[in-house]
Amino acid sequence: MAEGAGSREQFLPAQYQPALPLDRLILKDGSPGAGDRMELDVLIVGAGPAGLACAIELAQLAKGASTELSIGVLEKAAALGEHSLSGAVVNPRAFRELFPDMQDSDLPFRAPVRKEAVYLLTAESRLRLPTPPTMRNKGNYIASLCEIVRWLGEKAEALGVNVFTGFPGASLLVDGPRVVGVRTAASGLDRDGRPLATYLAPNDLAAKVTVLAEGTRGMLSQAWCTWQQVTAANPQLFALGVKELWETRHPLDRIIHTLGWPLPRDAFGGSFMYPLAPNLVALGLVVGLDYRDGALDVHSLFQRMKLHPLFRRYLEGGEMVEWGAKTIPEGGYHSVPARRSGDGVVILGDAAGFVDVPSLKGIHYAMQSGMLAARAILGALQAGDVSPARLADYDRMVSESFIVQDLYRTRNMRLAFKDGFYAGGLKAALMTLTGGRFPGRKITMQRDAEVARHIAPGVSPGPLVPDGRLTFSKVDGVFKSGNVTRDTIPGHLIVGWEGTAELAEFYARLCPAGVYEQVDGGLRVNAPNCIDCKATDVLGPRWTPREGGSGPKYKRM
Amino acid sequence: MKIAVCVKRVPDSETRVKIASDGKSLDEAGVKFILNPYDEFAVEEALRRREQAGTGEVVVVSLGPAAAQETIRTALAMGADRGVLLQTDRIPADGLEVAKALAAELTNGGYDLVLFGRMAIDDYNHQVGPMVAELLDLPCVTAVAHLDIAGQRGSAEREIEGGVEIVEFPLPAVLTTDKGLNEPRYPALKGIMAAKKKPLEVKPTTPAAGGLEVVAMTPPPQRKEGKVVGEGPAAVPELLRLLREEAKVL
Repeated sequence: MAEGAGSREQFLPAQYQPALPLDRLILKDGSPGAGDRMELDVLIVGAGPAGLACAIELAQLAKGASTELSIGVLEKAAALGEHSLSGAVVNPRAFRELFPDMQDSDLPFRAPVRKEAVYLLTAESRLRLPTPPTMRNKGNYIASLCEIVRWLGEKAEALGVNVFTGFPGASLLVDGPRVVGVRTAASGLDRDGRPLATYLAPNDLAAKVTVLAEGTRGMLSQAWCTWQQVTAANPQLFALGVKELWETRHPLDRIIHTLGWPLPRDAFGGSFMYPLAPNLVALGLVVGLDYRDGALDVHSLFQRMKLHPLFRRYLEGGEMVEWGAKTIPEGGYHSVPARRSGDGVVILGDAAGFVDVPSLKGIHYAMQSGMLAARAILGALQAGDVSPARLADYDRMVSESFIVQDLYRTRNMRLAFKDGFYAGGLKAALMTLTGGRFPGRKITMQRDAEVARHIAPGVSPGPLVPDGRLTFSKVDGVFKSGNVTRDTIPGHLIVGWEGTAELAEFYARLCPAGVYEQVDGGLRVNAPNCIDCKATDVLGPRWTPREGGSGPKYKRM
Repeated sequence: MKIAVCVKRVPDSETRVKIASDGKSLDEAGVKFILNPYDEFAVEEALRRREQAGTGEVVVVSLGPAAAQETIRTALAMGADRGVLLQTDRIPADGLEVAKALAAELTNGGYDLVLFGRMAIDDYNHQVGPMVAELLDLPCVTAVAHLDIAGQRGSAEREIEGGVEIVEFPLPAVLTTDKGLNEPRYPALKGIMAAKKKPLEVKPTTPAAGGLEVVAMTPPPQRKEGKVVGEGPAAVPELLRLLREEAKVL
């Protein structure tokens, strides 16, 4: 790389990204696995809000119809909710529909949103903005997604649903074009893939319908869409959010969103700060992965952000008790796959891209998609027909629901920001005024990995030296995520091509968990640090499932 | 071979626990509970003995709140045959009262072995196993790290300071299990499914308070922050001075 701040080199992350390992993800030969085999009516991959709402609705409907259904849910986390992370301010709509006999006070929320504020930040000051209509949260609730998931999981189990925590779905079992089940990941292997005394062979779960509710950047969902050539008008776009939970001395009485600093102008994103309780505050920074500066580091920007007076005055003297990170599918309406159902399979929630960025909401869309899928699946099972034509009922129901209506209304808003913050802000305002009709056409986007990255020394602020009180290193963060992954499991990240020092540095900055390090121009991979955020799966090395129970152990994220 | 395994529901060792407002108990809000890790060795050993014998029964017994059913289910998912929960909202601080409740359940059960973990990771008492042995008038070997059983005789190895002690004993007996005895298995999918249908008997129990009372709990003192003295050889004299005068370790 040439010296000097004026020099600009570019590279495309996509050039260095290994292909999705389809041969491992789609198993066509029908040979039995080494472990147990189990037959179910419905198998759901992922115990998040989408998968659990689907399981609950299915079990309730089956009960009402006096039908016996065997329903299983696979979850890679060791316990319910431990891989779930969100802001979160939740629209209770889907909860009310799923639990019609409950009051809002029975639901797993912390507090209603009473006050809210949106600020535009500069390094030293802040400007209060009028709350954009899409961001008004009156009637919504502050919650921890971990707590929501644990609560939903208990409801599902009470209805007879089998929730298998610690079992990641690793491959789709297919018969011709039909998905017939899932093979789980093995556990108890040593670094070279040899079985240890605790070895558990992969299990085969056969199901009449397989429900992919894997969450953001779901691997089986990606594999199925690639295999079946299901595309969308735009590629899916992702953002990376890094979040911390703080016990504070100074109470917070409102939800706060910010735009602007510390992000560069050509990056899209913002921060949030929500009180789960007056002295228990969730805060985070979300940045679109189409940022141009190859040296941008979301974790580091987030640490810097906390030094701003707006945050500092709440956090000073408090204690950071949890840390986590996750990607968010941000593409919206134009990035939702053309169909979310196929032969023996449906795709829900974040895995399908049901997220509305302008309102920063996804949980109620995820749950609603699960409930609609449950209705379609029950109909299909009762008719003894799980063909694509029959399961397309799910797609029809989604298209007629508020999920697609909401996403359609804001279809271009995130996309407007591809040209930078100010132009994007103006266009977004026009879109709001015209009810989504401006600019009258779809804005075409590239895959995040196809966006050229500039290596320009001096553009990004230098590394922040964490003080251990307000600011923390990535390793501190991983510790606070509860990650105690066995460090002798086989590597689960496919790095592929050996890149340049610049590429190694790009991965090192991109990954919030310190998995990648640039050492003497080469790339060192500390795979056990991985907290399954999937950021590098979007822009670089591929993520694959590893031994069940690996990764973070979030409690109240 | 009929084996009883006594297990305890304890806070996950990775959980940050807090002291409740009464100053003498743990605040259980948001705390994840697990099967006591030392008890996992006991469950695993029982399963292996039953598997080797080809017949027999492994019964899991616990004293604890209703939520301890989940703890028992974990052992059932590993492969135990049935469970008994002596349900109480309050586990007495006095291990003898816990031992009395368990012994009352175990007596006349016809068990060849009664297994415990060496200790529970929440109270570190190491008491209940030996006390149950005494109440049942059975021989007891604690902290077993290796076990051989032939007919009605057993031989156990205990790791003691600087060596290994080998203890022979007749069956029936009470053993407490140590790390190293085996590598506990993870529940398999089929085991998890099967566990839901295995019998789990819940018996309301009211243990006496006993002679012990927890007066207060305090967290350990906060560790002082580290200090960087300097870098390179130049910092050594200052480091030595601090180790001598401040830390007083030299």
